[in-house]
Amino acid sequence: MDPILSARNIRKRYGAFLALKDVTFDLPRGERHALIGPNGAGKSTFIACVAGQLPGVEGKMIFRGEDITALTPASLAKKGIGRTFQISRAFLQMTVMENIMAAVVIASGRWTSLSRGLYRDNLEKAFGLLETVKLDDRAAARVADLSLGDRKRLEFGMALAGDPELLLLDEPTAGMSIKERHYLMEMVATRMEETGKTLLFVEHDIDVVMKIAQRVTVMARGAVLVVGTPAEIAANEEVQAIYLGGHH
Amino acid sequence: MNAPAHPTELSRRWSSLSGIDINWKLVIPALILAEVINRTTGASTTTLLTEIIIFALFASSLNLLMSFGHMVSFGHSAYFGLGAYGFTLAVTKAGLPLEAAVLLGPLVAALGGLLFGALCVRLTEIYFAMLTLACAQITYTVLFQWYDFTGGDTGITGFMAPRFGLSGQNFASLTLAVVTLSLFALWWIVRSPLGLSIRAAGQDRFRAEALGLTVRRVQLTAFVIAAFFAGIAGMLYAVLHGSAFPDYAGLGLTLDSLIMVVLGGLNSFAGGIWGAIIYKLLGAFVPSLVHEWELVLGLILLVIVLTAPKGFAGLIARLGLDRKGGR
Repeated sequence: MDPILSARNIRKRYGAFLALKDVTFDLPRGERHALIGPNGAGKSTFIACVAGQLPGVEGKMIFRGEDITALTPASLAKKGIGRTFQISRAFLQMTVMENIMAAVVIASGRWTSLSRGLYRDNLEKAFGLLETVKLDDRAAARVADLSLGDRKRLEFGMALAGDPELLLLDEPTAGMSIKERHYLMEMVATRMEETGKTLLFVEHDIDVVMKIAQRVTVMARGAVLVVGTPAEIAANEEVQAIYLGGHH
Repeated sequence: MNAPAHPTELSRRWSSLSGIDINWKLVIPALILAEVINRTTGASTTTLLTEIIIFALFASSLNLLMSFGHMVSFGHSAYFGLGAYGFTLAVTKAGLPLEAAVLLGPLVAALGGLLFGALCVRLTEIYFAMLTLACAQITYTVLFQWYDFTGGDTGITGFMAPRFGLSGQNFASLTLAVVTLSLFALWWIVRSPLGLSIRAAGQDRFRAEALGLTVRRVQLTAFVIAAFFAGIAGMLYAVLHGSAFPDYAGLGLTLDSLIMVVLGGLNSFAGGIWGAIIYKLLGAFVPSLVHEWELVLGLILLVIVLTAPKGFAGLIARLGLDRKGGR
């Protein structure tokens, strides 16, 4: 099958430090794919490259047959790439519902609208998203008052507002309890399964990776080390030596 | 998923889930009170009242940027000044009738906002603030130095009967009506999807961009809107006094507007209104009691910032007078 995302010789330099060394990577449509590797491997940098967050990226990024290498985050979002951040980002001074509605309004491309009818038309969709991420009972709460786990779920819900073809989650479970991690990622996996969208996520918790991912890419020192199914990765001696055998 | 709800039921649910609402039980008595004060007191009180009303709009326009767009402008007086001069020059230089000139003033201010805003939104935080300051100083300098066109530091006077020749009381009523409509328009914008996008861009630009929002475009839109309403305030001020001076675009007014917003309460729609009332009342009455009134103002600001960072509006909310909580 055609890959939904193809990275060709992606290279990113910070001064003299080469954070990504000619990363070439294909992501098949509909796959749940995990990006793992020790700290400094370049996982988050790669996600940031796909999401258009970094200037001066060399190489070529192809999304659904189109060169997206130099596009801004906003235009990538419009093309169907959704994301969450390593450190949760939401509109802290708004209510949960307003956050979701902002995401829905922005995704609809009608941010200049002065009509509150737009809210009414999208309220069912917004409630639906809140139900998907199990936050419908917190709709009137201010985001600043939410727990970390709730915020991460909210961010996931917001990322879903635009029905992204490709969802990028950068360490979605960082800082969460084991129970919360599995809860969130099972929710994500179910949603991906149902909608047939593609998921690329960075994750440190190997249990989560083994359970959620269909394939895994291991990165080390800015390069792709090996790609395979969770079972293959678990059995790979090189991976065990460089990563699994280390501090995990 | 619940069964599809009735449209009005949906809007009701939305209002209960979003934070901004008008407390009509507070607004309507306040409007009536303003008009009663206007009709029952002397000329000096009427002038003070008119200025308070004008500055309520000016401060609220800045408040749109600060509380909702999280853009701190150090040069908002530029658009007040452009509104005043746009109106005045339309009368004196272009020979337009007053009815057309009052529209031109705010439009000139909005155009200025578009021009300067396009530069300023390229930067963020303190760099944004410094650039707005620079743009305002440019405006002030041009108004101050260009004698042939703007009259320089002597300003432009005597080109019209102050207040269109209306009595002080009638002009105060007219100002109250114009400002109330303007504030209602601002409130409408804040509550609209555009307002939600302005708030989103202000609260987390990276999240907003990742959702597909071109943040600079949203910020520029907010900037132009704020400039337009500041321009209405400036135009009204020029009509009130029948004159325009470079100081209308000066640092002093910028500072006044910033103090009003902080006094009145950040992150609250009513903040600009409360701020204008308190600041103007302090400025009118404290100097007759204390010689160094700026010292008193400084102390009050100090106390507010330290003990009530949400300003007067925050205080009102804490007392439960504003049902929706200080938004």
